[in-house]
Amino acid sequence: MEALINYLLNTALNLHAPEWVILLIRHLLVATILFLVVPFQMLLLTYFERRVIARMQDRVGPNRVGWEGVLQPIADAVKMFTKEDIVPAAADKGVHLLATGVVVVPTMFMLSVLPWGPGMTPVDFETSLLFFFAISSVSAIGLVMGGWSGNNKFSLLGAMRAVAQMISYEMPAILSILALVLMTGSMSISKIVEAQGGLIANLTDLPKVPDLGLGWLLFTPVGFLAFVCFFISALAEGERTPFDIPEADSEIVAGYMTEYSGMKFGMFYLAQYVLNFALCAITATLFFGGWQGPGVSQLSAMGANNQLFSILAGALGVVYLLLKTYFFFFTMVWIRGAFPRLRIDQLMGLGWKFLLPLTLVNIFSAAIWAACIHWGPEQGLAFLSAFGPWKRWAIAFLSTLVINLLAATLLVRINSSAESSMPKLVEDQKFGAVTLP
Amino acid sequence: MLKTQELQINIGPQHPSTHGVFRVLVTVDGETVVDLKPVFGYLHRNHEQIAESNTYLQNMPYTDRLDYFNSMTNNHAYALAVEKLAGIEVPERAEYLRVIMAELTRIFNHGCALGFLVNDMGAWQTALAFGIREREKILDLFEMVSGARMMCNYFRFGGVARDLPEEFIPRLKELMIALPSYTDEVEKMLRENEILLIRSEGIGILPPELAISYSVTGPVLRASGIPYDIRKADSYSVYGRFDFDVPVGTVGDVYDRFIIRIEEMRQSLRILTQALEQLPDAEGGHINPKARQAVRPPVGDAYGRVETPKGELGFYLVSDGSTKPYRYKVRAPSFINLTPLADMCRGYKVADIIVILGSIDIVMGEVDR
Repeated sequence: MEALINYLLNTALNLHAPEWVILLIRHLLVATILFLVVPFQMLLLTYFERRVIARMQDRVGPNRVGWEGVLQPIADAVKMFTKEDIVPAAADKGVHLLATGVVVVPTMFMLSVLPWGPGMTPVDFETSLLFFFAISSVSAIGLVMGGWSGNNKFSLLGAMRAVAQMISYEMPAILSILALVLMTGSMSISKIVEAQGGLIANLTDLPKVPDLGLGWLLFTPVGFLAFVCFFISALAEGERTPFDIPEADSEIVAGYMTEYSGMKFGMFYLAQYVLNFALCAITATLFFGGWQGPGVSQLSAMGANNQLFSILAGALGVVYLLLKTYFFFFTMVWIRGAFPRLRIDQLMGLGWKFLLPLTLVNIFSAAIWAACIHWGPEQGLAFLSAFGPWKRWAIAFLSTLVINLLAATLLVRINSSAESSMPKLVEDQKFGAVTLP
Repeated sequence: MLKTQELQINIGPQHPSTHGVFRVLVTVDGETVVDLKPVFGYLHRNHEQIAESNTYLQNMPYTDRLDYFNSMTNNHAYALAVEKLAGIEVPERAEYLRVIMAELTRIFNHGCALGFLVNDMGAWQTALAFGIREREKILDLFEMVSGARMMCNYFRFGGVARDLPEEFIPRLKELMIALPSYTDEVEKMLRENEILLIRSEGIGILPPELAISYSVTGPVLRASGIPYDIRKADSYSVYGRFDFDVPVGTVGDVYDRFIIRIEEMRQSLRILTQALEQLPDAEGGHINPKARQAVRPPVGDAYGRVETPKGELGFYLVSDGSTKPYRYKVRAPSFINLTPLADMCRGYKVADIIVILGSIDIVMGEVDR
């Protein structure tokens, strides 16, 4: 980005702008793009979700406003803006208003650390992964504020559920990410993405292997297990079916959003979709290589000579990332169209009894992976360096695969046997002829 | 265990999933239901009193509005009561037409009830959309015979209003080829969906003794293991001629009520197949030509009851010899099945109330008359 602005200002326009001007322009530009992209993505996501769900339910979906209904979200936004803003008489008005902001702003921050393309991370720093999850938890405070201030029992129940769920599922989410940090040795999201180039995960510097950007962490046992745990946790964090308990419309109306109307409701809605988008994007980034894909690194390499190619590489990277992100969002919609929701105690059971131990085991295997790949004579494991990269990688793969498989089967068995302490009814139920006088 | 303050919440009367204007006053300790009190009467519209100032025939379209989902079976029960009271004979063919309509009603009611139930569990309307899809096809058939889709008003004293149009039978046969795959689809979704299983198994158990003492009927009673079906127990119309089974559950939980309904859809299809086979041989027309519609029954009383998709619907009529009923009483299955709600819900979570309520399958038009 700096290079591009530098090229435009100094080379093309010949302005001799100092470095701080370029930086300032870059920051303003990036902030503007982010603030435009976020609501636009939200509009697109709502339209996408409604059409896909409609397709699954034998319906047409919104198709009246604009071509095939693409302007439907705009119409919805206009409706939201023009609606009366009702604040309950008994509400704590200050907190009621503030909650909307506390919910929306953190979700916008989340997108600022995502690497959108090669060298296209708006804010890049060493602990961006930590920042991403830390800032995502802030919105939980907003949910409590919103649920409590409305002075409605449904809101309160919803807020209680939301916080219980957020806390329970942030643990497995962050622990599963920790495995990746161990594998890649970095807490910077952009470095984790860069580590997923090449053809084989975590084995980038191989000779004679073209950099196809397919070394996704998903293709390792550690990464796969982490992905499964993380995506389940992401569904819970983003309050998507089957974990949409805090706003279970059939039980507690709209949860913490019950007492909101008009644009304030719209803000909660916005926050939710942006959060979902960010969670899908981070899943794509951490496990599916983010902007990595065939052709990106080749174009970047050509960009050294011609600025145009690096722009193309960036565009291709953004396309790859968005494709992956939308795939995950589609999965979320798909699950929503197919599954009922869990009950709150079942949700807690899944989080604490299944996902948490599984992610802990996964961290253990990630440590083994890192040791097999990176350790050598300094750690007293000289025999490892004698093997060469391929063999070391194979050892790491097989050992972690065995550990993770054992852990997963064991946990599934333990959890299902805990359930079967209740009478297993399905097998016993018989239906058939009953002859009556 | 920490002692926490109990919270009283009103679920309803304006609530997305109370199936109408129905209120449940719930006392919860955190998420656990301590006590529950169903409150109804929000849809009370003086049905019985109005019916006593109408003539007998004028009440026929009015019964459509009781359980607005299943107008055909409501008509059936009322027609049965008046025919008993006035001693009207029904020709054989008319009986077959009545059975066909009643069983079609049962199929789509159960399909949609399952859809609503899955909806109450939080699945975003997909199961319901499939149920509605099948219902539309059946409603097309109803429109063909009666001119109306929901408020059919098709039954008359001594028969039905019109005979079948020519294209009815081929359309019905077409539909009956497609329906088994729908029931299989629903069953597959139920039996193989882990989340659905853990949400419905062992939830809202209604023991058989309790079910009997609350005089619960219909699929809810049969799910508790009691093979009581009026079509068998007090056979009316031509049900005695069909070979069908009464599915019963073993536990009486939500899951049983689910499976019972699927199985009943299959049995209804069996009845339909047999009815279609026997229909061409049935004697008489669609209505008894001697039956007067402006009935003036002799002094006396009569109780006509049928097995509607929701349970036993009965009409108790007392005649004083005039053209209007002296007393008109509806025994509504939804209302009576709703009474054990508190016993079914106590000790479960808030989310379970909705599922249990959905599994009873109520229609508020019938609960508050």
